Amino acid sequence: MKVKVLFFGATADETGEREIEVSLAKNTKANEALAEILEKFPRLGEHKLLFAVNQEYANGAEFIKDGDELAVFTAVSGG
Amino acid sequence: MTNDFYEITGEPLNVGEIARRIVPENCGATVTLDGYVRQFTKGRETLHLVYEAYEPMALKEMSKLIEQAHKKFEIENVGVVHRLGKLKIGETSVVISVAAPHRRAAFEACEWLIKELKRTVPIWKKEVFADGELWIEGDSQTENAKAEAEFKIFDV
Repeated sequence: MKVKVLFFGATADETGEREIEVSLAKNTKANEALAEILEKFPRLGEHKLLFAVNQEYANGAEFIKDGDELAVFTAVSGG
Repeated sequence: MTNDFYEITGEPLNVGEIARRIVPENCGATVTLDGYVRQFTKGRETLHLVYEAYEPMALKEMSKLIEQAHKKFEIENVGVVHRLGKLKIGETSVVISVAAPHRRAAFEACEWLIKELKRTVPIWKKEVFADGELWIEGDSQTENAKAEAEFKIFDV
C-alpha cells in the first residue's frame, strides 16, 4: 500500500523533501512506518520527533491504511 | 451557538479588530494576547522569524483547544489567529482573545490557551540571526508533552 509522508520545518530541511510517497506492507503500524522513514532519512534521528497519522497525533500503535497521510515533525514552536 | 473563530493567515494581524470582532452581550471583559517577534533571546539578536504550519492539522488542534477551554473556564467566546511567513521584529505572530462575563476566567483561559497552543498546535518558527538560522524545537513543550502524555515523542 502507498501512503503520503509530509515534512515540515526542521524535518523538511533534514530530508530535503516536503512530501514523499512511501510503499508500506499491509498491517504496518505507525511506529514501524516511522522506523522505515527513519531508515530512508537517518538524519531525522538527530531530532525528537512527533508523528501524525491523518492529521492526528500518533502514539505508534495505530495501523496504517492505504492512502493515509503521515507527517513527521519536531516538537512544535508556534506562538 | 458559538462565535468562536480560529484562523491561520499569511497577512499581518490587526489585534484590535480581532479582539473586538466578537463582543458578547453577556460579557464584561475580553483578554487579548498580542504575541509578537522578540528582538533579543538570551542575548542573541534575531533579525526576523519565519513561521510554518501543517495547516489542516493546526486548525484541528486549535479547534480542540477552544473546545477544551470552554469546558475548563467560564468563558463565552474565543478567537485564535496565527500568522505564517516572514515576520519582522515587533510584528504580531499570534492573537488569542477570550471574552467572558468576568475577567478572571478570561485571563486564566487566555494563559492556558497560549501555553497549550505552543505545546500542541503544529506550527514552527525559524529564528534568523545575523550569522545563521535555526528551526526552534519546543523543548519545554516536550517536557509538558511527556508529563501529560497526550501524544508520544519518538526519541530514536
